Amino acid sequence: MSSEEIWEEAATAKGSQGGDRSAVSGDRLHRELLAELDNLRQRLRALAPEYEPPRFSRQRLLSMVEEGLQRCPVDLQADLRDRVRDAIDEQWFDPDTWKGVWYMVNYTLKYNADLIQRRSTGDYDTDDWGVDWEFLDVVRPFFTFLYKVYWRVKATGIENIPIQGRTLLVANHSGQLPWDGMMIATAVMTDHSAQRLVRTLYSEWVPRVPFFSSWMVRVGQALATEDNGVRLLEQDELVAVFPEGHKGIGKTYRDRYRLAPFSQGDFVEMALETRAPIIPVSVVGAEETYISLANSSAGAKIIRAPYFPISPTFPWLGLLGLVPLPTKWYIDFGEPIAMDRYEPDAAKNLILVSQISDQVRNAVQEMVHGRLARRASVFF
Amino acid sequence: MSPEATILVTGVGGTWGARVAARLVREAGLHVIGLDSKPPAEAIEGLDFVMADVRNPLLGELLRTEQVDTVCHLAFVETIRPSEAAFDLNVTGTTNVLDACAGAGVRKTVLKSSTAVYGARPSNDAFLTEGHALRGSKRSGTIRDLMEIEAFCRSFSQRTPQPAVTILRFASIVGTTVDTPMARFLKMRHAPSLLGFDPRMQIIHEEDVVEALVHAVLNDIHGAINVAAEDVIPLNKMRGLAGKPSLAIPHLLAYWSRKLPASARHWGNDALPIEPDYLRYPWVADLHRMREELGFVPNYKAEDTLREFAERHHAAPLELGPIGMTRDEEHLRDLIEQRRQAKRQRAEDGGENE
Repeated sequence: MSSEEIWEEAATAKGSQGGDRSAVSGDRLHRELLAELDNLRQRLRALAPEYEPPRFSRQRLLSMVEEGLQRCPVDLQADLRDRVRDAIDEQWFDPDTWKGVWYMVNYTLKYNADLIQRRSTGDYDTDDWGVDWEFLDVVRPFFTFLYKVYWRVKATGIENIPIQGRTLLVANHSGQLPWDGMMIATAVMTDHSAQRLVRTLYSEWVPRVPFFSSWMVRVGQALATEDNGVRLLEQDELVAVFPEGHKGIGKTYRDRYRLAPFSQGDFVEMALETRAPIIPVSVVGAEETYISLANSSAGAKIIRAPYFPISPTFPWLGLLGLVPLPTKWYIDFGEPIAMDRYEPDAAKNLILVSQISDQVRNAVQEMVHGRLARRASVFF
Repeated sequence: MSPEATILVTGVGGTWGARVAARLVREAGLHVIGLDSKPPAEAIEGLDFVMADVRNPLLGELLRTEQVDTVCHLAFVETIRPSEAAFDLNVTGTTNVLDACAGAGVRKTVLKSSTAVYGARPSNDAFLTEGHALRGSKRSGTIRDLMEIEAFCRSFSQRTPQPAVTILRFASIVGTTVDTPMARFLKMRHAPSLLGFDPRMQIIHEEDVVEALVHAVLNDIHGAINVAAEDVIPLNKMRGLAGKPSLAIPHLLAYWSRKLPASARHWGNDALPIEPDYLRYPWVADLHRMREELGFVPNYKAEDTLREFAERHHAAPLELGPIGMTRDEEHLRDLIEQRRQAKRQRAEDGGENE
């Protein structure tokens, strides 16, 4: 039997198999194909009993593939090569790559060990506010992950924040834990052209909480007092405030989109005193990260917190109940409201202060409603 | 200030009084009268020493006779726990000195206080200005007495225009030759921080304390002024610079150790010479007045002070001072405790040197 006949035979076998392919299961087809292959091999052996194929080895397989490739036309070779290269980078087969990886892993470990050792001898820089840029670099990937992957935050109007100079961001507050403040800061640090550090003013509860208090100081946040706000704005910093305070962040699910009343208007006084423009900011999506059904005053008393949410998961699952839901977030930065058109002592005019406070509150509330109307789903 | 002006320094038997008086005599070349119930440990050449108590009713007579221009009041006893005898010397002594100054037409008085009088509170501003309310701890003898003195000075200044009262509020003083709460804390083997708390802290070098007091005597400036090294350092960085290992204790443990019964209480104080609140919350003072109005720039940065402290405090252990006349049990207990600590310190250092 000539080789042509073998091919013919194989073709007819394939054809007969293909005819009733729909009838047979994949498993049976596989077995039949293997049996056919066995059959073919035996017939080949009968044809040339003296031929013994070389023993299998990877090198032989590769050279066989190579020979086979060389028989193909050049353009087909190039196409195949490109496809393979796309799938697996050829550098992976280069021992130098692995040497490089090894070097990098070693260096990273050593760098981190040195960092810890160096920090334990107090050899790192902090400024008078306690900002620790090295610490910021360590925690930044976590927040970038939350920003880009977990909550897929979409930030608009970020160009309203000036490249430099004092600015006051005023945002709505929600979501039980202050993730919204962290995401505003991450948005500016990631998407703004100047990558400015947002100095958020936090509540008086924070300094009492172990770890959280020291981390907040290290990443440049400060206690919400008028003195701190004015001081930071006078240093031409980008300051963020949440005038709703605990009433805002601790609000229950039912009230999630309704802004709580703003505090006394301290933030307006800060802005007027330092003539810093106010940028209203709306955060939508943080409301649904935890579903707070009610607030427990007894729970708040026990852990000495300003509020204690009861949600389907917290406190029943303990710390696990603190894992936020992966909702889709929108952070919108509004048009700046200029403060330098008022008199220098306008901060003392309580009527004006409350008017501006209402104006900002309405702006934020409108932005929240506008975004809600355009939002398709909580999660996408 | 005219070169023939007379300056009276109280408390020259103590560290600060002796050092300030010596500086004023040597460098400013002024006529300096030193007043204390005990003479300086080392005789100061050119010092006109008067052995008397600051509570002596004849003090006004002395001031008028000598035509004293400025009084630098440094007679102050530091105590860990509130003590009646110390309170009497500190607060009654200060009221007596100020009243005597007012009666004798003294132009100005300079007092030494501490930024600890602001108190360490979670609601504190990041930088406390001089006008901030004084809400310090009443559990520490020194801080309680200082707050009493400050309150008295405030009402005194409102009542009487003369003399002008200058109060320098110093941050935690660090130095190898002085015994202050912060120095004692940093001399502890571990000097633990509170787990999860890392407040921003301020310190000042002992030399700069003397420097600032001399500066305030020679330059006219009124009211309270915060004085501290210009860099603010978080506590853990501070501990690192002072060569302390990373060790933290839960803050609740630190608070509970304070509530132990009196018999076991010395252990609590032994564990932490600084009130837990002061290691937990920020109490950083604003230095604007120091720079702009007092015109004083500390010579030492906080980082350098701590590095120097770490190098030297093992080499030069504290000398055991003589136990003075003590009238009440609390004060004696403090002294015994200090001596015990100093001894232990010396034993540890001796052990390390061998």
